[in-house]
Amino acid sequence: MPDGRAVDGTVWRTMRTAAAAMAVTFRNLFRKPVTVHYPDAVRPYPDRFRGVLALTYHPETGEENCIGCRLCEYICPPQVIKVEMLKAEKRNYAKTFFLELYSCEFCELCVQVCPTDAIIMLKTFDLAVDDRRELLLDKERLHALGLEFRPSWATGTGLRAMQAPKPKSGGKGPAAGDAAG
Amino acid sequence: MSAGDLLSTVGPPFLLLNGVIILITYLTLLERKFAARVQSRVGPYRVGRPHGWLQPIADALKLLLKEDVVPTAADRGVFNLAPLVFLAPAFLMYAAIPFAEGQVLANLEIGLLFVLAVSSLEVVGLFMCGWGSNNKYALLSAMRAVNQIISYEVPFILVALVPVVLTGSMRLQAIVDAQTGLWFVAYPVLGQLAFVGFLVTTLASENRIPFDIVEAESELVAGFRVEYSGMKFALIQLAEFTHLFGLACLGTLLFLGGWRGPGPAGLGPVWFILKSVTLFLLIIWVRWSFLRIRVDQILGLSWKVFLPAALALLLAAGAVVAARGGGGA
Amino acid sequence: MPDPAARTVVEYGYGGNERLVMNMGPQHPSAHGVFRMILTLEGETIVAVDPVIGYLHRCHEKLGETLTYVQYPTIASKTDYVAAMTAELTYVRAAEQLGQIEVPRRAQYLRVLCAELQRVASHLLWLGTWCMDMGGALGGGATMFLYCFREREMILDLFEALTGARLLYGFHQIGGTRYDLPAGWAETCRETVAHIERRIEEYEAVLEGNTVFLVRTQGVGVISPELAQEVGVSGPLLRGSGIAHDIRRAEPYSAYEDFAFDVPVETAGDCHARYRVRMQEFRQAIRIVRQVLDGLPEGPISSRPGVKSVGQVKLPKGEAYARVEGPRGEVGIYLVSDGTTKPYRMKWRGASFSNLAVAGHILPGHKVADAVAILGSIDPVFGEVDR
Repeated sequence: MPDGRAVDGTVWRTMRTAAAAMAVTFRNLFRKPVTVHYPDAVRPYPDRFRGVLALTYHPETGEENCIGCRLCEYICPPQVIKVEMLKAEKRNYAKTFFLELYSCEFCELCVQVCPTDAIIMLKTFDLAVDDRRELLLDKERLHALGLEFRPSWATGTGLRAMQAPKPKSGGKGPAAGDAAG
Repeated sequence: MSAGDLLSTVGPPFLLLNGVIILITYLTLLERKFAARVQSRVGPYRVGRPHGWLQPIADALKLLLKEDVVPTAADRGVFNLAPLVFLAPAFLMYAAIPFAEGQVLANLEIGLLFVLAVSSLEVVGLFMCGWGSNNKYALLSAMRAVNQIISYEVPFILVALVPVVLTGSMRLQAIVDAQTGLWFVAYPVLGQLAFVGFLVTTLASENRIPFDIVEAESELVAGFRVEYSGMKFALIQLAEFTHLFGLACLGTLLFLGGWRGPGPAGLGPVWFILKSVTLFLLIIWVRWSFLRIRVDQILGLSWKVFLPAALALLLAAGAVVAARGGGGA
Repeated sequence: MPDPAARTVVEYGYGGNERLVMNMGPQHPSAHGVFRMILTLEGETIVAVDPVIGYLHRCHEKLGETLTYVQYPTIASKTDYVAAMTAELTYVRAAEQLGQIEVPRRAQYLRVLCAELQRVASHLLWLGTWCMDMGGALGGGATMFLYCFREREMILDLFEALTGARLLYGFHQIGGTRYDLPAGWAETCRETVAHIERRIEEYEAVLEGNTVFLVRTQGVGVISPELAQEVGVSGPLLRGSGIAHDIRRAEPYSAYEDFAFDVPVETAGDCHARYRVRMQEFRQAIRIVRQVLDGLPEGPISSRPGVKSVGQVKLPKGEAYARVEGPRGEVGIYLVSDGTTKPYRMKWRGASFSNLAVAGHILPGHKVADAVAILGSIDPVFGEVDR
């Protein structure tokens, strides 16, 4: 009450609730702490972890997956991706591919739209740098990251398959249990 | 004065002072680790693995190396002097506190009175800190502090007098000797009530939760010490902890039987430290379990509940002693 | 009921009012975000309060006009960043309402599941920060704070396994949801929810009946039902003042009519009543989560294919207002479309914006320490206030 009244209730009740509160904190003394001693110990990241972005190579042919179609550039809400297409005979490539990681909001929309599963996200976020310019990832850097760290589950085709409306086969949709968990 | 005389005069206080400072520094680590475990985390860990043993030293070094900022508009004299005025009484308390049989710097006849009087001087230093900062938050906090500490000193003194009445002397050594058979805290009803009252009033005069409206980090940031940085801040922190531990030592002497414990007499100081640290841990445990009471509620509590209760307790103690037919001082 | 006399100015004998104008915030350990209050104090009593907002204005409504319908849902989570699921849900619901887009049953259930889990997580954050404000960052309050966050982390782990992100999810898309449940998620969810239910009992044991807590919250910050309706508060503030209005009951959306749950209402209107409402909402949310997990239908999670291009969604001309019962109250989006891929105008109705407006009415007459308790019980999130 916004006045000067002293503590309401009996002294006994006060002491009893005080003891209850102290019992809860005391019991917690003997529980294991929830601290993970990073970086000595690392928390296990789930399969779908949305970490740093990377570009990939085709697993069989070894070619770059990116065809420079710029769909990711158009979809990106903060517009951090800049791509230039390089036309070639059989297929297109990306001439340059810049991704400003310091402004990226890690929303995974670029991964979702990619028709060739070129851009993916990795199961790491650990890219601390001294100079912000090092977070302006160019194509080389993105490919190197893709080789260095483990990728997350999400690829363009995977996400689109998960979100697809009822399949024509008429069976169950891409329901729970199929995607990596 | 010969060198030997000089050594015997300066030596013991020097040793005591340094011992107390080192103990207090590591008590801060103990508080942090204890608090961490209560909160499901680990506390200082990395500095001096694995338990953060070097953390207090690292903190002290850090504070030494920090820039000493004095606000332009501050009252320089008061601002600079305040940490010292805050610190001196805290250390002075230890002069009259005996750690074991016969081991006390100043075996005063009025030992308890001296300790209580000196510990009450803290509030002067506190107010100087708040006033000298020339800062609304600091001033508000200092005003709350003066209000609160002065209101709680009265029941504190009355409750601390209960063991005096039961013993018949103010000499701290005598109070401990009177607990040979039974610690005062084990006295039926009287002892327990007095102990609880002692704890609560200690929390209040120390500005500890649930009575820490003075600093109230979430409202006034650091309260009266908001403008202090570097070594002056370290001195203020040291003074607060020293004062708190001093009152915990006092509690041990008054209620927990001082240095009495099983084993040879040489273990006396060990038991004393153990009991004081336990009392200290109890205070920390309370700190991390409660919310803060609002200032007008704190004051209401003091004057309307604790003062009459403490008076009643003292009268009851007197009646018990008179009925027993002993003591009287 | 607040005492009108408590708000009148008292003339002191020594020539005029000893008034102190004190600034609280925008950087402040307990301002709950960037919020500035210019308090006029007499001693310890607040006489007048001048709230200043806008420190977190990030032009969401303009962004809504420049981003297309497929891009904005990921940005929508950043308004109420503590309860991102309900914020995104509002936007996609507004777009679906405008475009008459159907949402498959499974997606509706998943949306409810995430919204209710988000409610639990948001209330855990509320409880932790509120106790911390009342108890000091390093004091007893921090204990409750860390306990509540320990449980909130478990829910965030669930969301991380589901979407890959811990705070700002991008889970919703127009037509349904983007992600489906991974294997084993439902089991983990049930365990988590059961664990949290037990822990909430523990926290209530610490707080309920705790004299200090009662003294600091009962009778403090009373919002009368008339004031509540006049200012336009919603959510637990409204239900704490006795008005039983819950959008999930009044205008059920996203299959809420399939679930049985109670809407807790308290009449006292003070901080304690709002606390009780939110504690009950914990339990009701967990109840809904269990019902969803038990009755989750099979099926697609979206009625439209996943995003393949930026201009994929074009909504017909028109306007729509969609409202959602977020943890803080009514979150709404008013969408005006001109037939293209981007909205013509998008207006956010932030729950915290209207809730915070009541602060100016109820703070005078209280002490400074109460200001913190009241602000905490209003539970503002400044992403919603300033957008």
